[in-house]
Amino acid sequence: MLALCGCRSNREPSLKQLTLAVNSGVEGDALKQAALDYERQTGVHINIAEFPYANLFEKELIDVNAKTGAYDLIMLDDPWFPRFATKQFLTDLGPLMQKRGQAGPDPDFIPTSIALCRYPYQTGALYALPYVGNSQLFFYRKDLFEKHKLNEPLKWDDVLAAAKTIQENEHEGGKTYGYVMRAAQGNAAVADFMPIFWAFGGEMFDGSGMPTVNSPQGIAALKFMIELGKYSPPGYPSFNADEVGAHLLQGTAAMSINWPAWISSFSDATKSKVIGKMAFTTLPAAVKDGQAEIGNWLIAIPKDSRNAEAAIDFLLWTTSSEQMKLSAQRGNPPTRRSVFRDAELVAKFPSYPAQLKSLETSRPRPRTPQWNEIENVFGIFLSKANSGELTAEDAMNQANAEIEKIVQRAQ
Amino acid sequence: MPKLKRSFSAHNSRDLLFALALITPALVVLLSLSIYPLIYSITISLQTETADGIKWGVSNFTRLISDAFFLTAMAHTFIYAVVALVFEFLIGLSLALLLNSQIRGRTLFRAALLVPMMLPTVVVGVVWRLMLNPNFGAINGTLKEVGVNTEPLTWTASPKLALLSVIAVDVWQWTPFVFLVLLAGLQAIPQEPYEAALIDGSSRWQTFRYVTLPLLKPAILIALLLRTMDLLRVFDQIFILTEGGPGFATETISLYIYRTAFRFFDFGYAAAMSFVLLALTNVISTIYIRFLQTKQTPT
Repeated sequence: MLALCGCRSNREPSLKQLTLAVNSGVEGDALKQAALDYERQTGVHINIAEFPYANLFEKELIDVNAKTGAYDLIMLDDPWFPRFATKQFLTDLGPLMQKRGQAGPDPDFIPTSIALCRYPYQTGALYALPYVGNSQLFFYRKDLFEKHKLNEPLKWDDVLAAAKTIQENEHEGGKTYGYVMRAAQGNAAVADFMPIFWAFGGEMFDGSGMPTVNSPQGIAALKFMIELGKYSPPGYPSFNADEVGAHLLQGTAAMSINWPAWISSFSDATKSKVIGKMAFTTLPAAVKDGQAEIGNWLIAIPKDSRNAEAAIDFLLWTTSSEQMKLSAQRGNPPTRRSVFRDAELVAKFPSYPAQLKSLETSRPRPRTPQWNEIENVFGIFLSKANSGELTAEDAMNQANAEIEKIVQRAQ
Repeated sequence: MPKLKRSFSAHNSRDLLFALALITPALVVLLSLSIYPLIYSITISLQTETADGIKWGVSNFTRLISDAFFLTAMAHTFIYAVVALVFEFLIGLSLALLLNSQIRGRTLFRAALLVPMMLPTVVVGVVWRLMLNPNFGAINGTLKEVGVNTEPLTWTASPKLALLSVIAVDVWQWTPFVFLVLLAGLQAIPQEPYEAALIDGSSRWQTFRYVTLPLLKPAILIALLLRTMDLLRVFDQIFILTEGGPGFATETISLYIYRTAFRFFDFGYAAAMSFVLLALTNVISTIYIRFLQTKQTPT
């Protein structure tokens, strides 16, 4: 495969054509729409290669590894970015932007989002621009909180107390669980655990890059998660986003950590039994302030793209504030402050102020090229602890040992 | 000698060329689609990526021995294969014997029994996933109606029940296959041995044990061989039902290989694991085939 592809690199670049690899889903749909508009305005023909989330990563990584230059722009979920950037698979956007009179990315972009696009994180060169500004939010039933005179969920202890009260008192028309979390191994368990872990003062790695998940803070955080799990519907150690969404929409659970993409479904009468009853806020605190996990979609130009100049023009256009507003209207949270504060959009999406605050204070998953593997292992042990197979201590000790193996193998 | 001479004559060498031309397409396809990837995967299984570049050696294979995930996934695969095989065989054999006799409506039963096998595995996975859902699923819903406390029955979410649940789905889907092969085997057995047994006054059990079973052996071995090979590489229904969870409770070797290759991009290690799986499957198949060849005559 390598041999077949290497020989095409000196072909004349065509300026009138671009190929985009996009995620099939709301994020990719908005970009597809934008591509059609761009084609109409500029005459640049844009081919769309659309893949489901699970395949997108393999397709893109295989492409950049084989240096085919098949894609001129690729959508990346932000945890994938280090994997691409460490291997020099992406085009440094700095020189291309300078050519167009831009010293750096527009300061209107939210700093936590731009930091994801740099390698090394926050300080290095710019290899992508942020397109979709997701970060976790805390979802809760404000009607039940008012009914039982509960404190707003500012701290994790408030959350636990509220979960207990709600579960003990809400039986009308079936049981309402106090909380719902997802602890299926892999991404799900880790995403739901990280905000608790960080708030309890846990850190995944020390300064030298060695794992420290079994610190006293880490173990305390996992114990808390298991405690909270007692108020989550049975079977939650196998839950993914769908089950959590179903419980919230059916009104059978009162709180959860979730992603902004779910917000619109709560006001959809065909799906939701809780219209007007949900509130969205930033994540609760413990010994530290609450921090959400950031989950942005980035757009980058592979190094072997033969149309980098045309690609950067499209990239700058599609991440401009006007275009991002259109993308926001199509359902994607923006990555620019000005768009988050746009009066028209705030009227349409009342959770925008909370989303902006969550995003500005969010934290990324550790920026390591081995993240997929580490997340998998960490998720397995979190899931095992939640299903009662292991104690919190054993789970964290074993997770630490396995993560250490991965780190050492990569050195 | 004359034969050999003739084969070198001009006329025959043209034949030889013609024959070569005919097999070339097949040979090219085989080389490019089978032999080349095989050699390629052997080479990558001997490579590990380090910070200083590619290193050659057997470290992927030595890593297997100390990888608790690999060993656990192997154990799950064997438990899965053995338990599913036993149930599929026993149920399949019983059904085949039942429907080989003259009972009413057997054509209908035979057709209905084959339905699970006809469904795409992915569909079966999704349907069972919904049915096994502890909160909204049909199974717990039904059990609740008849008064069972379903709170502890979380099926695929419980570390204790998860493996059994995925095995049950496999048994549901693939017992019909065993049934089909065994039924065909039963119908191929001639009437004469049974008549002889009847005249000799053998009991029903004796007839089954000394007439049916030995004559059915080839069919049994074929059914078991095909099922074993399939069970050892099981992937799709587990991927849909549990993705290997909760925790690691239902991770089989195919899932672990997939994850290693396409999520972690460690193709070398994934190739090494695949070779181990291939070797084991080969050993087991060879044992079956030995049995099939040596003991075909009824005793």
